[in-house]
Amino acid sequence: MSATSRHGVSPFPRWAPWVFISPFFVLFLVFTLWPLAQSLLLAFQQTFGPKSSAYIGAKNFTFLLQDPLFWKAVRNTSVYTLGAVLIQVPIALGLALLLNRPGLRGRHVFRLIFFAPSLVGLVFVGVMFAQLFQKRTGLINSALHALFPRWDPEFAWLDTHVMPSLFVASVWLYAGFNMIYFLAALQNVNRDLLEAASLDGAGPWQRFRHVVLPEIRPVATFVVLLSIIGSFQLFELPWVLLDNTAGPDDRGLTIVMYLYQTGFLVGDLGYASAIGWVLGIILAVAAIVQMRLTQKEQIR
Amino acid sequence: MTPRRISRLLDFLSPGAWTILGLALLSSAFFAAWPRPKREARDFWMFSPPNVQHYRGVLDDWNARHPADRINLVQIHYQALERRLLAAFTSDAPVADLVEVESRAMARTFAGPLDAIGFVDLTDRLKSEGLFDAINAPSFGPWTTRGRTFALPHDVHPCLLGYRADLVEAAGIDVARIETWEDFHRIMGALIQDLDGDGRPDRYLLNFWENNYDLIHILLLQAGGSLFDAQAQASFDTAINARILSTLVGWVSGPRRFCVDARDFTAGGDRMRLEGTVVASILPDWLAAVWKANLPGLGGKVKLMRLPAWERGGRRTSVSGGTAIGVTKSAPDFERSWAVAKHLYLSPKVAESLYRTTYIVSPVKAHWSLPFYHEPDPFFSGQPVGAMYIAEAPHVPPRVASPYITLALERVVGVLVALKRFAVAHDVYDADALLPEAQRLLKEAQHDIARRMDRNVLFNSTE
Repeated sequence: MSATSRHGVSPFPRWAPWVFISPFFVLFLVFTLWPLAQSLLLAFQQTFGPKSSAYIGAKNFTFLLQDPLFWKAVRNTSVYTLGAVLIQVPIALGLALLLNRPGLRGRHVFRLIFFAPSLVGLVFVGVMFAQLFQKRTGLINSALHALFPRWDPEFAWLDTHVMPSLFVASVWLYAGFNMIYFLAALQNVNRDLLEAASLDGAGPWQRFRHVVLPEIRPVATFVVLLSIIGSFQLFELPWVLLDNTAGPDDRGLTIVMYLYQTGFLVGDLGYASAIGWVLGIILAVAAIVQMRLTQKEQIR
Repeated sequence: MTPRRISRLLDFLSPGAWTILGLALLSSAFFAAWPRPKREARDFWMFSPPNVQHYRGVLDDWNARHPADRINLVQIHYQALERRLLAAFTSDAPVADLVEVESRAMARTFAGPLDAIGFVDLTDRLKSEGLFDAINAPSFGPWTTRGRTFALPHDVHPCLLGYRADLVEAAGIDVARIETWEDFHRIMGALIQDLDGDGRPDRYLLNFWENNYDLIHILLLQAGGSLFDAQAQASFDTAINARILSTLVGWVSGPRRFCVDARDFTAGGDRMRLEGTVVASILPDWLAAVWKANLPGLGGKVKLMRLPAWERGGRRTSVSGGTAIGVTKSAPDFERSWAVAKHLYLSPKVAESLYRTTYIVSPVKAHWSLPFYHEPDPFFSGQPVGAMYIAEAPHVPPRVASPYITLALERVVGVLVALKRFAVAHDVYDADALLPEAQRLLKEAQHDIARRMDRNVLFNSTE
């Protein structure tokens, strides 16, 4: 590295660059690398705080593999993730396509309306939907019962239909957010290609399938990856929605919720660290898959 | 400083960078030199808003009389208090001298070795001062682990049944005829009614649903069921628990259903109580005060009765929740903190103001004959609320503290939810018919908790 002053001679000593980058390295070392190393050590220990700990080898990991609750959390999280990708992302794309229609009046207003839910916090959304989904007195059951008298006013959304309730709340929260990405991508689709396709006799579906979709694929890949990573980190929404529990029969238990319960409610930080590392590996695999997909797109 | 030297400095860093560096150094020096505030009073952490409201007045009085021994009451949210307590005990983070702690939060501090528990072991002190005899024995359970007691109990929290006397009496029902839950269903059953003609009942008998941890625990304890044995080992795969859970399925589903979800502390639940959608609720003493404060519309319309028993001659009460005061090991002067703790929890004058503010009955048996407990209460239709709770206080079931209690309760709730699913799928709601499935599910659940407990080498090493 070299630097020259207005006199043509470097005024900096050789160590100056290290001083400049040291704030980042110090913070990274203290707040990221050191805790990461500590959590790896912790994953091989049984602890009750730093004062009481015992080395137990790989027992946390072997217990994890046989832990039905962990696998239930993995299953719930995977179902939610699939729902996020297969329901939430298409809805976001649909909203973006609607807003991208030429000549649409009030586009800015609609964009604000769809995006607004993502401006409020997850906890707020959890509290609000917990009220909406209440049996008998909740707005959703009351409205459905008023519209369809055969509808059971005690329909137990948060007891027996935890995952659909989570989908509804998360679609309301995130669809508008993802819509913004798609809208930006759609506005960059080459108009000449669309016109050429129209002149060649392509209908709306063919234009979407053969022109729009290939053009927005990198953004779609990014949104899908974002949804997968976000879904695997799901915690606050079900935790608040289900009144600080995993719901009846652990139907709303997610991996991060299980980590939290283990680490902070049971106090088993060693086992919680092991769960955290396994979650990290799952997310790393998702990121690698995304990188591969992106690379393929670039090669094409 | 010469212009040449200034110029060299400016070559090295710009004036802006020098300003930022100077400000950083100055502010660091400023904060380093900032004197640590001298503690003028001992801190006392509490979480329960009604208790805070009550003890603030008591401590103001204490502080006025003891200017050299002041207590600083700090209200902290329940979860924050639990987090800070665990952080303090496990990592030597700062903690108050005195802490009023809830039973499940206390149980979590019991997860490690005995010497890692950050509260002073009060066992010998309680024994030497005769407090084990003076205080209602079941009240010590949640604060005791491996034979040692770490806090002074604040309450008993016996349970009664609060019911809409206006509806019950209008229907000509005499609650004195109710001795068991079966009687309750049979005699009160006429109140289950479809009021709007849509083919569905609009009035149910009891506030209960299958995933309410607290109510399930209350009913299991009442029946003599338990989650842990006296040695704090998981023991919920029992005949009693299976019988109770099988019976509860019929309470919340099937043709004989009589319960509805009208949860406390929610607007929806309160509305159902006011509108008479639910007739009765299991009511520990502390919740009676919540009703009085939050539901003034029920004033004069509700009464209390003993809980129906599970069998004739059985226990007519149960227990719910609980708090206690502990002196932390970091408290500089144990004797002074202990004196405050005893004043707050054992004084008859404080017991009176506690009852008048919160309906909470003191665990000190000598106080139970004090006149204020026997005064009629207009909210509960002129009944002597305190005396009614006190009559049940000696009969509250014993409890065993375990750091795994929340997990165990979750498993038991899971069993009830799965059992209800099984009942609905097979259209079988008879308790006898559900018994084998209940036993199978309980066995699985206990096995899971036992495996988790076996892993805890720190807890097991000091048993």
